Amino acid sequence: MSLTNANSSNAIAAHEHVLHFPKDGKPSLTPNEWLIWSGSQDEGGLPDLEHGKAKVLVPFKWWISHHEEADIQAKTKGGQIGIWFAADDDILKHVELINEGKKVWPLVAAHFPIFRDGRSFSTAALLRDRFAWTGEIRAIGDVLIDQLLQGARVGFDSFALRPDQNLDVALKQFDLYSVTTQNSWRDKRASLSI
Amino acid sequence: MYKYDHIDQTLVNQRVAQFRDQVARRLDGSLAEEEFRPLRLQNGLYHQRHAYMLRVAIPYGLFNSKQLRTMAHIAEKYDRGYGHFTTRQNIQYNWVTLEDTPDILAELAKVEMHAIQTSGNCIRNITSDAFAGVAGDEYVDPRPVCELLRQWSTLHPEFAHLPRKFKFAINGAKEDRTILLCHDVGIELKKNTSGELIADIYAGGGMGRTPILGSLIKQALPWQLLPSYLTALLRVYNRFGRRDNLYKARIKILVKALSPEEFARQVEGEWLHIKDGDDNFTQAEWDRVAKHFTKPAYKSLQKLTNEQVISLAKDEDKAAFARWLERNIKPHQVPGYASVVLSLKPHGSVAPGDATTAQMLAIADLADQYSFGELRATHEQNLVLADVEQSKLYELWQEAKKQKVALPNVGLLTDIIACPGGDFCSLANAKSLPIAKAIQERFDDLDYLFDLGDISLNISGCINSCGHHHVGNIGVLGVDKDGEEWYQITLGGEQGNDAAIGKVIGPSFYADEIPDVMTNIINAYVEQRADGEAFIQTYNRLGVAPFKEAAYKNAKKKEKADSKVTGEDAS
Ligand code: HEM
Ligand code: SF4
Repeated sequence: MSLTNANSSNAIAAHEHVLHFPKDGKPSLTPNEWLIWSGSQDEGGLPDLEHGKAKVLVPFKWWISHHEEADIQAKTKGGQIGIWFAADDDILKHVELINEGKKVWPLVAAHFPIFRDGRSFSTAALLRDRFAWTGEIRAIGDVLIDQLLQGARVGFDSFALRPDQNLDVALKQFDLYSVTTQNSWRDKRASLSI
Repeated sequence: MYKYDHIDQTLVNQRVAQFRDQVARRLDGSLAEEEFRPLRLQNGLYHQRHAYMLRVAIPYGLFNSKQLRTMAHIAEKYDRGYGHFTTRQNIQYNWVTLEDTPDILAELAKVEMHAIQTSGNCIRNITSDAFAGVAGDEYVDPRPVCELLRQWSTLHPEFAHLPRKFKFAINGAKEDRTILLCHDVGIELKKNTSGELIADIYAGGGMGRTPILGSLIKQALPWQLLPSYLTALLRVYNRFGRRDNLYKARIKILVKALSPEEFARQVEGEWLHIKDGDDNFTQAEWDRVAKHFTKPAYKSLQKLTNEQVISLAKDEDKAAFARWLERNIKPHQVPGYASVVLSLKPHGSVAPGDATTAQMLAIADLADQYSFGELRATHEQNLVLADVEQSKLYELWQEAKKQKVALPNVGLLTDIIACPGGDFCSLANAKSLPIAKAIQERFDDLDYLFDLGDISLNISGCINSCGHHHVGNIGVLGVDKDGEEWYQITLGGEQGNDAAIGKVIGPSFYADEIPDVMTNIINAYVEQRADGEAFIQTYNRLGVAPFKEAAYKNAKKKEKADSKVTGEDAS
């Protein structure tokens, strides 16, 4: 486990490295700077950002009720707070809030409660298509090697894999296919060009 | 027939490499079984009672002799010398190993075949009319649309982990041979008054535990807009389909819970945002794909009457040959040609839909010799040679007889659709193959079967309904009661344009009672039918009562069955 933060029991586990795969770039690894706060123990409020990781992804549900607080706004503007969407968040019900958030969020993420739950694929697709979010979208939660390709194609460009996943194998996934037969966030279907 | 371009071929080759790597990780233990499972299912690999089972896609049922030879070769080299053609126009191998599977897929890739999305919670292999492009009653050849949607759905990233499996069927003929309404999405192709190709979309059909017929949710969608509309539809399902309960996760439950109108409204709302995007098909794509579905080099021939065709046979063959013509030959669009159904339901066979290596090789030769090297797999688990010259039917019949695929029972009581059941399937509650066999043995008299006329009999070994028992005129469902195998009968189901879900008639029976029960039900029909009335028509006129009464006439174990079934929900 990679989480050394004091709040780790209240965090979503993630590998200590993040796999970045920018739209027109190459896959690479960077240390994971973000604590993914599950928000399940709301009483204490936002986790302490002085003694563990300095940046935190908060649940969108929590953001809804806390974003107007001055220190939250300040920390967000300072690049310390990003948000994550749960698989069952209906983002289309919060168009205004998301459009506002787009101006300040340094990072958004979408959560996979279990690898075979594909709702966050649609969330990422909607964030790209409908909300025209151009910043980073990170896949978090039960993120496994064999989801990376699909994630990359719907709009994710960073992946906080589950801690046990082998990053060497993960890094090689994006080279598996040189053609596609439907459009994706990254490219148009190859079959359009013949 | 569609021929892969370099994109299709590259994709399939790369898929083989990807799966090879996934299998290697499974075998070295770095991939846990639970996590491998959805990956292998998306490649048609099940783990069954005795071994792995591989389901290979035959997109919209169309294949060629070269592919059939490869299927035969795979049966021989990696399995036990036979393959099983399924109701969804796939072929299954029941005895493969995990280690061999990447090699099998590599062999399939060489003949433009694969097992992508034949299982798993994704868009499954698309099915269509087995007589597409040749059927006498066709108003639109559905195959270009089938192929465009096959490409669109293949490895679709957003819909790789849906709440449940997702099945499309596409029809373009007057008679629905696809059971459109039993699919998650049924696409009915038509021409509008200006001659443009449009589609009506039905959603929310399916069998299983809760059989529901699909509802019309969109009319007159221009064909080009299918990808954006279906993206919207699948997106609504992906986001809001139930994931908490496996049995309630199919789109039919969502459509029912919301009402078809509300579901359609939500899809429309989503679609508005993407309908003008570049997901939509272009004319160039159509042209590229459609050129593969032009007509083969038909000769210009005279249309022959049945009498003329029969006159080609030797005297001693005439009666049997005429029967075959009556049941197994379908009308063709082109004069002088006919479509031939090869029955994979010889009486006493091991399993409806099975073909041995030798049969597959011989049938491949017949396809080359008589039908431009092409074949089709039907929903009823038979094979079709679609383009046979009428003047060669007698010759073909003689050849087909040698392979035991000329039984004239198409559409008759013994043309049974059956799932693999307890002999192979680990989900089964009961066996289905021995039931099918026992019924074929009981009704082995062809004269009698002919006299009974069209009756569909479908058997499933469990509530998953692979054998589509709900839409058989007579359906048999295997149920488990305290560890014993029982069989529940449904009556009045129908596929096609008047699709209907059959009614459960009451307490279940023991396996050894089923042939008698069938005899009783059939006798009730024979006694009460009006002139020329098919089984289902008599049933629809009289209702279930007389048939139900007949079924239980001498049910020796009825009381026992009664007491056992009480309080349980078998469906
Ligand atoms: C041993 C291998 C098989 C396994 C494990 C299997 C498994 C399943 C399962 C779990 C379902 C239920 C899904 C649901 O509706 O909720 C299903 C449905 C179905 N299966 Fe199979 N099956 C097998 C073989 C077959 C065969 C051989 C056929 C064709 C002859 C077939 C055709 C179908 C069809 C048509 C349905 C759909 C029912 C519907 O329309 O909802 N399956 N199968
Ligand atoms: S109906 Fe049941 S027993 Fe038959 S193949 Fe399907 S899952 Fe297996």
